[in-house]
Amino acid sequence: MRVPFRAAARKRMAVWVRRRQGVDTLPVMLARRRLYILPTRAGLTFGSLWILMLLAALNYGNSLALFFTFLLAGFALVAMNDCHRNLLGITLASVSAPAVFARSAGALALTLENPAARARPGVEAALDEAPLTGVDLAPHGRGRLELPLLPARRGIVRIDRVRLTSSHPFGLFRTWTWVHLPIEVLVYPHPHGSLPRPITSGRHPGESSRDGSGLDEWMGLKLFRDGDSPRQVDWKAYAREAPLMVKEYSPAGADLCLFDFAQLRIPGVEERLSQLARWVVDAEAGGERYGLALPGVELAPNRGPEHRHHCLAALALYGIEAPAASAAQPAAAAPLHA
Amino acid sequence: MPERQDNPALLWATAAFTGGLALHVDRLPAWVSAAAIVLIAWRLAAARARAPLPGMIARVVLAGVLVIAVLARFRTLNGLAAGTALLVLMASLKLLETYRRRDRLVLIGAGLFLLLAACLDRQSLPRAPLYAGETWLACAALAVVASDRLPGRAALALAGRTLLLALPLAVLLFLFFPRLAGSFWAVPRGEEAETGLSETMSPGSIGKLSTSYDVAFRARFEDALPPNDERYWRGPVLHEFDGFTWRRGTGGGRAPETLLSTGRAYRYHVALEPSHLRWWFALDTPAQSPDPNVTLTRDHELYAARPVSDPTSFEALSFTGAREDQPLSRWERFEDTYLPRAGNPRSLALARELRARAGSDGAFVAAALEFLRTGGFVYSLEPEVLGAEQVDDFLFRTRTGFCGHYASAFVVLMRAAGVPARVVTGYLGGEWNPSGGYLVVRQSDAHAWVELWLEGRGWTRVDPTAVVAPERLERGAYDLLPDAMSASTRLLRGAPWLVHLLQRWDAAYAWWNERVVKFDSVAQMGLLERLGVRSPDAWALGWAFVLALLAWLALVAWHMGGAARPPRSDPLARAYARLCRKLARTGPERAPHQGPLAYGEALRAAGNPAYAAGASTLLERYAHLRYGAPEPATRARDIETFSRAVARFSLPR
Repeated sequence: MRVPFRAAARKRMAVWVRRRQGVDTLPVMLARRRLYILPTRAGLTFGSLWILMLLAALNYGNSLALFFTFLLAGFALVAMNDCHRNLLGITLASVSAPAVFARSAGALALTLENPAARARPGVEAALDEAPLTGVDLAPHGRGRLELPLLPARRGIVRIDRVRLTSSHPFGLFRTWTWVHLPIEVLVYPHPHGSLPRPITSGRHPGESSRDGSGLDEWMGLKLFRDGDSPRQVDWKAYAREAPLMVKEYSPAGADLCLFDFAQLRIPGVEERLSQLARWVVDAEAGGERYGLALPGVELAPNRGPEHRHHCLAALALYGIEAPAASAAQPAAAAPLHA
Repeated sequence: MPERQDNPALLWATAAFTGGLALHVDRLPAWVSAAAIVLIAWRLAAARARAPLPGMIARVVLAGVLVIAVLARFRTLNGLAAGTALLVLMASLKLLETYRRRDRLVLIGAGLFLLLAACLDRQSLPRAPLYAGETWLACAALAVVASDRLPGRAALALAGRTLLLALPLAVLLFLFFPRLAGSFWAVPRGEEAETGLSETMSPGSIGKLSTSYDVAFRARFEDALPPNDERYWRGPVLHEFDGFTWRRGTGGGRAPETLLSTGRAYRYHVALEPSHLRWWFALDTPAQSPDPNVTLTRDHELYAARPVSDPTSFEALSFTGAREDQPLSRWERFEDTYLPRAGNPRSLALARELRARAGSDGAFVAAALEFLRTGGFVYSLEPEVLGAEQVDDFLFRTRTGFCGHYASAFVVLMRAAGVPARVVTGYLGGEWNPSGGYLVVRQSDAHAWVELWLEGRGWTRVDPTAVVAPERLERGAYDLLPDAMSASTRLLRGAPWLVHLLQRWDAAYAWWNERVVKFDSVAQMGLLERLGVRSPDAWALGWAFVLALLAWLALVAWHMGGAARPPRSDPLARAYARLCRKLARTGPERAPHQGPLAYGEALRAAGNPAYAAGASTLLERYAHLRYGAPEPATRARDIETFSRAVARFSLPR
């Protein structure tokens, strides 16, 4: 009886707060208007004890007891003010939501900035009613909070709001705010399955490369990026005023695999996706080139983190309407801006 | 789940509770303190995994035993002393099952409750810092319990800072929070007689008069002080004598009648220290009762309905030469001439002989006093213990004693000759405190003297001790007999500067009792009146309370405001915004993505006349000030010049 009522009240509260505050855009400064504060359970106990002390002191007209009762009242009021001030002015600078595998632990990372010259100890955050994670912010300092995520199913987890809170300094009050950001976390299928990887084409391992340089089949040109070897730059093209390009080769001895959804002999869509995800992860770890074929989606054989993400994202979103942003770019450490 | 080792939160919560216990340790029965300390030690040992904690059943049994023990000792669980003992024991037991944060908060709460109980028990000046310390400790413990990672020193600093900010509010609330005139309910308080006067006197059985240097009361006179030989402060008046002990007797009789004033009238204010006795001490003969709860007896004692367990003060009017005009009733005459039939034959014979030789009662009194003066009597605070025939033994053998001996023997002599006589106990003297402007009367000033009924004069005071040791009128018993002083008292009285310092301290102590401890609803109204409120009432107090609260809130907000306020935009940004507003009046508005130089380009491209008229220079100056590397020393001045240039800049028409 009690739990549904609380849940309903919480939901209504969430709707009201959402309407009141609107959707936030990063960076979010925690202003006075959006900070809420209430006594904690310890604070309520302290309050009732205080009332008893006041009644006793008044009853006996005992000056010293009254004085210390009033001192404790002032103490609680200052504590309330301090608690509120502990969050006030903090800036939520960025939120990063890297893609995560289903049924494994991921994290939503928040970066907080303290613009003030005083420290902010015990700043905490949580996704709704999850346990709190805390950080201490130094004066003018930054802090990073990782909120644990444990998604059960592949797809997209939408996080409506993040709760930032603090009960510093005495735990008598808790101040909090909700930040409403349209955060979407892409959840890859749980990589699982024991079938061997199919080898569709490519050479057998052990065959030596043509020139013994370790570089092999010419794959094409791609734009130069920091870290690319100057030896691979297409200097001739550059001399013709073309942009700086890099010649790509497939590594020696690499296998070429195509993982085809249609050819899997496993009942159940989720199981098949899990198996495919397993292969993608393993193939990437093994430095192989691999492609993916899903009904309606075909990804040509390639390798690298970007390719891996595209493959896993395709698996994650199979049968689900594709979101605007997350799948298009590698979400690894990409800050989400609303 | 057992506590991790040396959990700071547990240690601090225990410290807060132990601090509360320490405030009571001299008042609690020793076994209660001992039990609490054992339980605390047990818990701390368990926290270091040196001892197992008791199980549920053991705890319940222990709790039952302790409750019964408290009941057996106090006969009740109600009342301050019993309640405190119970709270101490139960909180110590609670310590044994303290694992979670909530349990630690309970311990801190117990510490605060013990603080409250200590305030209700004693409010003297030297205790106030102890109470403040306990408050500080409890608040620091709250901080540590809230956050385990907080180092102890930081917790103390945090709690101290918070309490300092709270202090102005506490003072304002103390002054203006409406007080109750009465009380909702009364809990009996522990009353144990301490030092001072008792209601009986057995001089013969006392080998050494133990007098302490503690203050009995302080008296502030409106006009002149009474002379030394008039400073008799009346306490219990004793009528009944059984050969060994003097008692008050049955009392009864009539209420005091109108006084015939023959002496001087004194108006004065007395501040009694808690004595846990029902006597209020007034100079010689008080004219009326100073308080509805205090009875003026037929012997002119002030007898209160309740013992003095808190500092109490009253205004009084006394006459040093006042006499009643009513004749002595037969019952009174019988009571005050009664002696036990057997015993002290030599004394009775002496009295009869002296009376026969003297022509009148007055001459007889003079003769008896002469006997004491010339009989080789010695004043001493450490007389021999007297034998069975106490008065004979004293008058004819030891001849050594203090005021009780002389008063007792003198009354026996008077009664033996048929003169109504009674013993009056109280205090004689009083030390002038120049710092506070009052007389201090100490327990060591306790005294006993005699009152006789003389025809035509009524009750007349005679002090036989003054005959033996006339200096006693001038000085306290201590100064008379320095050997009787304890070593510490002798040390304190030794150096003049120390005496002066002690007088200062005593004045502060008296001020605290009068102005702080006794600050009540009446004093509140007086304060409002002094603040300019014409006829203060509860409403005025309410307003003062609200104003005080607002003033404090403003103070705290001002103190804390600095860090919370968003930084004001700097003068450079303001000047730049102003420049852009001016330029936008004729030309294109600056797009959000445009920097100052890009904006200049845009103005030029739009053919804006302002560009040529100096806008380009200003924009470049801004870019330099904002993004360049300006001299730190002159930057502030440069910004000012730039702002002025912007202000002067006007668009060409």
